[in-house]
Amino acid sequence: MRLEKCYFCSSTCYPGHGTMFVRNDGKSFRFCRSKCHKNFKMKRNPRKVRWTKAFRKAAGKEMAIDSTFEFEKRRNIPVRYDRDLMSTTIKAMKRVQEIRARRERAFYKQRMAGNKERERELNVREIQKGIHLISTPLASVKEVQKTAETSKQMDTD
Amino acid sequence: MTRVRRKRMHCNNKELHHKYKTKRRTKDLDQIEADLLPENKQRLLTQPEDEDLPGLGQHYCIECAKYYIDDRTLTEHRRGREHKRRIRDLKAPAYTQKEAEAAVGMATDNGKALSSSIAGPQSLLALKRKNDTKVAAQSAGVAGSSMMMAD
Repeated sequence: MRLEKCYFCSSTCYPGHGTMFVRNDGKSFRFCRSKCHKNFKMKRNPRKVRWTKAFRKAAGKEMAIDSTFEFEKRRNIPVRYDRDLMSTTIKAMKRVQEIRARRERAFYKQRMAGNKERERELNVREIQKGIHLISTPLASVKEVQKTAETSKQMDTD
Repeated sequence: MTRVRRKRMHCNNKELHHKYKTKRRTKDLDQIEADLLPENKQRLLTQPEDEDLPGLGQHYCIECAKYYIDDRTLTEHRRGREHKRRIRDLKAPAYTQKEAEAAVGMATDNGKALSSSIAGPQSLLALKRKNDTKVAAQSAGVAGSSMMMAD
């Protein structure tokens, strides 16, 4: 059993899922779901579609260079079944996944670092720019109060 | 229940559905890239006359994979926006399955990394083998020392 990668979004195509399209020149394309197949039929370029792995990696949205990516490989050498090897491999897979998840989390945090300050700065700038919009009602209230006071004084007089 | 609109919806756009059917699929960018190679280019530019094709198949735009009825329409097409966009798209190499796999760090490992001393983590199998030999050496050493003790 071989888990192929989707042509469009690069996710894994599990057995019994997705579609394979064989072009009339014999080249085959695998798709993990109908969304990817439809996008392919529309002749979209995966490099330009923002939700594909190809885009996200190229644009620096996700961790691209890491040693944890070196483990999953297409190995074309048959290996004789070995119970120990199997168990150690499964153990290693889980461990690698753990490490990768941690690193991805760190990468995301680093990417998002400084966003809060930037947002706050933008908000402050926006308020400064449109201060007249919020200051008017207050000023009008003050004016109303002033007129009320003057009218009271007039009455007492 | 209120009325459900059935006409003039995106899902009822038959033209669009016909256009995207795989049986109507036009040439992909990677096929056109192959067509633009000098050995194929010559063959496509000097095609034998075919009654079924527009203009007997004599006026072909390789980049857009389209037949035109005469030279005038072909030159007109070459001046157009669609042709220019296609030329721009063809500047970058076509997207391949290999690229899709590279995006998730998937590559082929046929055991060459084991013999050559490429920097970076080796394959899992190699690591296991290395560990096995280490353990074997250790156990041999322990056995040897125990033998010594026995002596």
